[in-house]
Amino acid sequence: MVNSSQLPNSVWTRSVWMAILAKASAEDLEACVATLGALPSYRFLRSPEIGLAMVRGRAEGTGEPFNLGEMTLTRCVIQMQAMSAESHQASITESEAIAGFGYVAGRSQRHAELAAVCDALMQHPEWRAIVQSQVLQPLQAAAHEKRKNQAAQAEATRVNFLTLLRGEG
Amino acid sequence: MVTPHLPGFCDPVHDAQRTFRALLDALARPGISHTTASVTPPPGLTTSCAAAALTLLDLETSVWLQAHCSEDIKSADIKSWLLFHTGCRFTDNPQQADFALIWTVSHGLSLQDFNWGTPEYPEASTSLLIQCPSLHGGNAITLQGPGILGEMTVDVSLSHSFWQQWQQMTRHYPLGVDAWCFADNRVMGLPRTSHCLNPISID
Repeated sequence: MVNSSQLPNSVWTRSVWMAILAKASAEDLEACVATLGALPSYRFLRSPEIGLAMVRGRAEGTGEPFNLGEMTLTRCVIQMQAMSAESHQASITESEAIAGFGYVAGRSQRHAELAAVCDALMQHPEWRAIVQSQVLQPLQAAAHEKRKNQAAQAEATRVNFLTLLRGEG
Repeated sequence: MVTPHLPGFCDPVHDAQRTFRALLDALARPGISHTTASVTPPPGLTTSCAAAALTLLDLETSVWLQAHCSEDIKSADIKSWLLFHTGCRFTDNPQQADFALIWTVSHGLSLQDFNWGTPEYPEASTSLLIQCPSLHGGNAITLQGPGILGEMTVDVSLSHSFWQQWQQMTRHYPLGVDAWCFADNRVMGLPRTSHCLNPISID
């Protein structure tokens, strides 16, 4: 995984930020979103709901797909107005509405809601840069740090298995 | 998939339960109207029909949509709304449909087009969701059957041709279709056991 702070703008595709939001811990995400201040108003198209998803895998990545097992999943869809400052229309018209999707592992409804809000903000022209720098990059850096620590811990306990050549007398 | 611009139920569990109760009561007491939970329907659906669709449809049901007679109903909007909130499948063949969404019963709609079930599985039939302009003010029809004490007169605004077909269909009991009539936030049930007493004359 590359460090996101060096990523050019074009690499910030939706799948990248959706993955960051889904993998971040709910507490970290909450703290990052809190730094954004007042958010545009939004409403739920699909209120947070908890369900199951079947995770499938392929042996060695190329074999026949098999069902690995089910995992808990929380999903949420919100709708946000695209123009926050200028327009004060009470109803959200079709042209200026943004739909934000949140799919996260586990049962945290708040996590799914925040992920959906951030997804919507990333599609919002005024908010994109702010969310990128204040939410996504810190989360990406935290994930990177955590992976590095884990790798370091694993490295410290590495055991090398060596096959000794049997002396053939 | 196009994301719709309208939410579903405000309180998904309780609104769906209330609507399901209303739909059950409507079939158990034919001819009496019941109130469903409220929901903001997409243009072209009545409140009660939208609530019933959210309640009854799921990933395993297939739905047949009647082709519209009026231009202002956007079936794409309705389709995307149903797909987003229920995940149902759509079919063009009314014989394969579990549910049929009907806007008007007067324009060449034939009850025989739908699945009437089989003698072994009569419950495999299509259920009709009929949207009426009003549950009152139509032709007076006298109904009789289970759930009706004696007999009952309804004046839901359905065409003569519909009642004629209904009369013929009820002779094939246990085969047939069940229907709900929707107007505003009210629903009236018309199960296949309710047969009309008065002979239907052609206008």
